[in-house]
Amino acid sequence: MVSQDALNLAVSLMTSHFGDLVAKVCGCLLRGGTLSLQEIVRCTELSNSQVKNGLLVLIQHNCVQAFSVPKQVGAGGATKSLTQYMALFDNILHRMRFTKFLAIVRDDLGLQCETLLEGLLQHGRLTFDQLVVRATSKQSEDSSSIRDVLRKNLERLVHGQYVERCPRPEPFIAPTSEEATASARRRSAKIIHFVLQSKEETHSLEQQAMIAAALSHAERFSVITDSGCESSDVKDADKQDVSVGDKRKFEVLELDEEVQAAITENEVLWRANFQKFVHCLEKKACVANVRSRLGLDAGVVLEALIESSDQEKDNSVKASMDGILEAVRGKPGGISMTLEHIRIVLDQLGCSSLIEDNNVFYKMDVQRIIESCQNDEVESLVLSRYGKEAYRIFRLLIKKGSLVETEQISDITFVEKKVAQGILYKLWNDDYLYMQKVISMGTGQLQHFLWKVEKHSLWELVLNHMYHAALNLNQKIGHIVEQEQEVLQAREKREQLRKSRMILEMSLLKLDDALMLFHDFKRQVV
Amino acid sequence: MTVAMSRPSITPQKRAQPDSQSQPPALPENERILYELIKSRKNMGIWTADMKKETGLQNIVVTKALKSLQNKNLIKDVVNVHNKARKIFMAVEFEPSKEVSGGSWYSEGSLDTEFINILRKMCLKHIEELKVATIEDIWKSISASGVLKVACTMQQVLEIVRALALDKEIEELKSTGVGEFSTVQTGKVCYRSLRGREAPRVGHLSSIPCGVCPRISECTPDGVISPMTCVYYNKWLKLEF
Repeated sequence: MVSQDALNLAVSLMTSHFGDLVAKVCGCLLRGGTLSLQEIVRCTELSNSQVKNGLLVLIQHNCVQAFSVPKQVGAGGATKSLTQYMALFDNILHRMRFTKFLAIVRDDLGLQCETLLEGLLQHGRLTFDQLVVRATSKQSEDSSSIRDVLRKNLERLVHGQYVERCPRPEPFIAPTSEEATASARRRSAKIIHFVLQSKEETHSLEQQAMIAAALSHAERFSVITDSGCESSDVKDADKQDVSVGDKRKFEVLELDEEVQAAITENEVLWRANFQKFVHCLEKKACVANVRSRLGLDAGVVLEALIESSDQEKDNSVKASMDGILEAVRGKPGGISMTLEHIRIVLDQLGCSSLIEDNNVFYKMDVQRIIESCQNDEVESLVLSRYGKEAYRIFRLLIKKGSLVETEQISDITFVEKKVAQGILYKLWNDDYLYMQKVISMGTGQLQHFLWKVEKHSLWELVLNHMYHAALNLNQKIGHIVEQEQEVLQAREKREQLRKSRMILEMSLLKLDDALMLFHDFKRQVV
Repeated sequence: MTVAMSRPSITPQKRAQPDSQSQPPALPENERILYELIKSRKNMGIWTADMKKETGLQNIVVTKALKSLQNKNLIKDVVNVHNKARKIFMAVEFEPSKEVSGGSWYSEGSLDTEFINILRKMCLKHIEELKVATIEDIWKSISASGVLKVACTMQQVLEIVRALALDKEIEELKSTGVGEFSTVQTGKVCYRSLRGREAPRVGHLSSIPCGVCPRISECTPDGVISPMTCVYYNKWLKLEF
């Protein structure tokens, strides 16, 4: 469940992107969790068709996922499927990041791919044919050559996993596998309820729906089959990727290629793969952090390590020395680095080395860098809110990670005891610290105060603060846009407002970097 | 740079304790009772109110006896770091304990910020000169410079250096034994200046008014305090209409 601040931000984004009606439907889903159409109608007091339209917009833009569950109707106990809708909070927030996503593709694949992705981001999900129509309407060139270029670019985007096939539109969530084999008529509503509840302990209904809607890796990134050599390579790779459970997919691949291509171009919906973009931004944040701490070369080596790692497990990346070397060579400034120098940098980064199949592998805990970035953000907040001495005290407590007594804090940080007490109290009062009182029985009763940073709750607090701040920036931007309309004639004022809007927009982008650090890059906070 | 310091050359609590069994001087009855009580508390001293309670002597008698004992140079008053208003007396041969004085960084019951700041600056300067240095290197370098009139212990330097690391003025790291660490044994803890590389970074949240806003909890989109009417925003964006 998202917090109130997060919810307000999501609704505000929906309002500015799609207007009040859609925002109302979305807000209702965010507040009420998973709901059916009728429940949304009741909750929003909008008409049936208004809600339906709202849901269509939200589904089109990947902000809502539909799924159906069995529901008992009538006294006879017969069941029919009922469609449920759930809001996808993360995808709603990704709407703030489209400029960042576009920049990633522009840097990696160039302007044409960026334009193609822009279309997908603007429209949420499109078939290849729709993408062609969109492109040909702008250009007067021969449409068949445009089509070829577009197909190549889409393949490049899918190959880079920037674009994927849309998940299943409305998966049916069967209670359990045993239940599914039993006759539907004999199912009692009571049992279904029980089974669903017991499943919830491992996966909530929403999680089950997401799993059911998700395509296999091979399906998500299988490109339009064509006679081109590039795509046939991809197809071969796909064949190898197909697991035993994907028999149906295998059969599909056996179909006549041309027919298949026509179907794919007409029917398959494509969308941006947000997961990949989050991954890219995470890499960018890690590299920036390491670069500022350990220098340019460390940034290059870390980037190479992450890019050449085949998979990411347990919050860490692992790559062979050969892979790292190759990736480093491809980076600006990488050519001049010797093998010995790369080894030293890998050591500096705190990588552990291991030997597998006669190959040297380097492993790195990415989570540690993310944590370091998170610490930086919160420490900086403490510095500007509470001053230099509080900063020192807070950094000590973060470093220790356990309870520390007031006297000890005062001694280590060179802060006068009374002042330290005051600072600690202020931080505790604002929920930045956890405090424990201990009474020692010696010559007399003595009270001691022990202090600690409870990262889990503090990170949550900071994240909510960020949601609130982002909401405020977003609203202020909207407000200034309105003002700009009002002062169209007054050039000077308009210019001033434009400058203000740019400051606000830049700040929102930066604040969003911090937001992602605490929400999207988070795996496990200690 | 030469710094004149008025600090004792050794830390107070480390001074050798005198023989407390020496013969007490001949004193009038009240003074003797008080003197023995004060002396029995050694380096902790005793508060005047506690003296009155324990001896049962009257206020005026105690005050008079204490004055006389001070004149005879047998006792002294010391400042209690926890409560400066409480007058504490101690036999002259004792130096106040850490609990009373606050420790080696305290003088007259307050943090000796002047001395601390001088030592901080010196540590920073020497770390910058040495590039990468262990605590021994820093201490030796400071001692050899002869700038400080009084000696400082390695422990004192270590405490200062650790605080500098908390301030992100320097960083604490382990030597890899190669490159810039070639002068330091591999695996040994050493210190490096962070000047110009990583000063406390300005966070994204703290660089906008909402990050440091004291009224953020009262701020709502349609409330009295809202981003539309926010004075901090207008000040930040220099919007005045």
